[in-house]
Formats: sequence, C-alpha cells, structure tokens
Amino acid sequence: MAFFEARNLHKRFGSRVVLENISLAFERGQVSGIMGPNGAGKTTCFHVLTGLHQPDRGEIELEGKSISGLSPQRIATLGVSRSFQIMNLFDDSVVIENVMLALPEFRTRRLSFLGGVFDDTKLVDAATDVLDQVGLAARAWEKATSLSYGERRALEIGVALAARPKILFLDEPTSGLGSEATRNLAALVRRLREHYTIVMIEHDMRFLFELADRISVIHWGQVIAEGTPAELQANKWVRRSALGEAALA
Amino acid sequence: MAPMLEVDRLTKVYRRGWPAARETFRLEADFRVEEPGIVGMMGPNGSGKTTLFELITGSNSPTSGTVRVQGRDIHRVRTDERDRLAIHYHQSYQVRHFSSLYPNALLERAGSAYPMVHLFDEPQFNTQDGYIGFMLDFFRRLSGEGRLVFLCVHPNERFHLEILEEICERFIFVQKGTVTPIADFDGLVAHEPCRTYLGGLLTERAA
Repeated sequence: MAFFEARNLHKRFGSRVVLENISLAFERGQVSGIMGPNGAGKTTCFHVLTGLHQPDRGEIELEGKSISGLSPQRIATLGVSRSFQIMNLFDDSVVIENVMLALPEFRTRRLSFLGGVFDDTKLVDAATDVLDQVGLAARAWEKATSLSYGERRALEIGVALAARPKILFLDEPTSGLGSEATRNLAALVRRLREHYTIVMIEHDMRFLFELADRISVIHWGQVIAEGTPAELQANKWVRRSALGEAALA
Repeated sequence: MAPMLEVDRLTKVYRRGWPAARETFRLEADFRVEEPGIVGMMGPNGSGKTTLFELITGSNSPTSGTVRVQGRDIHRVRTDERDRLAIHYHQSYQVRHFSSLYPNALLERAGSAYPMVHLFDEPQFNTQDGYIGFMLDFFRRLSGEGRLVFLCVHPNERFHLEILEEICERFIFVQKGTVTPIADFDGLVAHEPCRTYLGGLLTERAA
C-alpha cells in the first residue's frame, strides 16, 4: 500500500476524454514526477488527485483511507497541499502575511480588532519558520511584489507548506524560471524532500530526471510509461533525444 | 476465436449538390487483421485515413459494408459502449462522439471492458523530448496485452520511417479512398504509389 494511491481514475468533459483508467502510487518520502506532452491531462490529473475535480470513476487513498469525493478543503486538512501553474499570491501584502494567512492557526484564531496579526508572536514565529524552509526568512517584511519571479515561486511553495501537509503537489514549479532560478528551485526541492512527500508535474525533463525517484509519463490521458529516471533513460529513443544527450554529457 | 478486426466490403460515399448529387469522395476498404499486433498506416492528406478510423470506431456510419471488432458489428453496438471496443486517439487527446439512428436500448452491448482496437492518428513524434520511446513502448504494451494498434503516420522526416519499420508488423496504404493492406515494411516501400508518396524520404533513407 503506497502512501498516496489513485486507482483507475476516469474523467471526461463532454465528449473529451481527459483521464482514462489512470493508476498512480506515490511512496512516503519520495519525489514522484509526472511528465507528458501539452494537453496530455497532467493538470486535470492533479485537480482530480487534490479534489478540485471529482473523478467520474476511480478511487483515491491517502495512507490507506479513501479521500475520493471529499471537498478540496477537507482533503487539504487531511494533509494534501498543492501549488498551481498560475501563481496565487497577495501582491499588496508583505511576504510573511501571505504565509500567515495560510496557517491553520490563523483560520482558527478568534477575530480580534484590537491586536493586529503581526502582534501575534506565535503566528509570526510559525510563518517565519515556514519562510525559513523556503529560504525567504530574510525577505519576510518586504512586499510580495518586490520578490523576483523565482522567489515568488518559492513563496508560493511556502504558502502550500503553511498548511503543514503530509504530501505536497507542485504543478510545473519551473515554468517561467530562468536557469539560475531553476537551480535554486532544485536546491529547495532537495531540502524539502527531507521532510515531505513531493509530487511534481514538470515539463523540464532534465530537472525532473535529476530530482525524482520515480516518474510517470502521461499521454492521451493514460500512464504510458513508468519507472526510475535510469529506467526511463535506458530507452533508445530517449537516449537519442536532447534529454539523452544531456544525461550522457 | 473471431478475428481482431474485419473490415468487410466497407464503403463510405460523400455526395454534394442538388438536385443531381455528385460524388465528391469514395472510400472503399476490405481487409481483416486476425491477431493482436501493430499496424502502420500511411497515405497522403485527404486520402481517407481519418474517415477509415472513424468508421472503425463507429463514430461515422458507412454507406455500406460492416466493421467487426472481435466479431461484433461496431455499428450495432450501443453508442455509449463503442469505446469499449475501439478508440481513436487524436494527437494528444481523445474524443468520443457517437450518434446512431437507433436508441441504445435497441443496440447490443459491447461485451468488452477495455478497448480492443486502438487507433492513433498522427501522434506528434519529435526527437527532441524523448516521448517517442515512451509512446512506442506503450504501443508494444497494448499489443502484448492482446490489443490491436493502428499507427497512422504522415512521414516527413526520415526517422518517421525508422519508427514504422521498428514497430509495425504489417501496413496499410491509403490513397484516394483505396485501402491496400501490405504484409511488411519491404512490401510497403516497394509499393509503387507509396514510393511516389514518400519520394525523397526513401532515397534519403538509402543514403
């Protein structure tokens, strides 16, 4: 029994088949990668795994317990957190505030018009701890807009971590990043994997092959290949591709 | 055991004009594939390849003739179960759209839980990203699980022919609505209309 498991997922939108009989298993403490051409169904797959879309058929389990049919909020409180391809940050707020708003204790905090959130040292400490994990503690009191694109991506991961998830889903974390920002992100993922189970959709195959323990290739709404990076790279056509050349270099 | 696929004196005729309708396109096909495996399909644009795929999946109705998938006449199967027999993959996604003159209650069950015939319509092959290898492995896996795979390729680069030679056991060449089954890759590249169609790619391959 894997830590997080999806079995025989089906999803259609009208006559368009987006997922057809997809089964995936993610092990605790591993980085699992999902890759596939544009339009192959990767993001829909994430939406279904994290409860944003209900599957037409199929089962999803976290630590052996079914989470199929639960609301995204309920699934999040059970320990499933995710980032999106398009960043969702509060630009006018300071960095730390973005994280504070996502802390579970912020939501349970009693409404108080007297003391501001920044006077709540427990909240500030908890948020600082999260920012420390994503390397942004020194920028805590700057406006979110002052961050570079790569730092904003790190902050978004921080927002996802604020919920203290058991498993973290990242949707194309390198999208829009330059080579230096991508290297920084790879270092961040390496640090995070010590504490979290991570699932990443990624277009940058080099990034994924370097970081993932196992990779599932999705195409036509199905898992067409699966394996460790080494197993997938052994394929003759992969060796002939730009990816193969990079691996040999 | 019924053959995987029987295309029996199948015709599809398109007519246009009124009052005297003029025939604008005619597709004729008559072939069968007994065993699971991988069949390569080639032919110029507009020759009828996609129409043939639509007739095999039952999303388009024939003018005459029948298509049987493992012995079942696809056009008599309930529209909501036809995809349990045959499915048509577009470049990166799948579409299911079926219509029938008869309600499903009057039609037959598919009798299969997972599609037996998988038709791939010009998958995007590019040597840059390595997906080719994963796609070819997927075709091999389907074939190994007892399915019949059709791979339609419009070769415009030399490696497209390499792919067909590597993975396909038999071939079908379609031109101007005429469907010609061919036993192997050597037969394909010896087939005169195919040589004309491939033109420079063949000499490039020999070089």
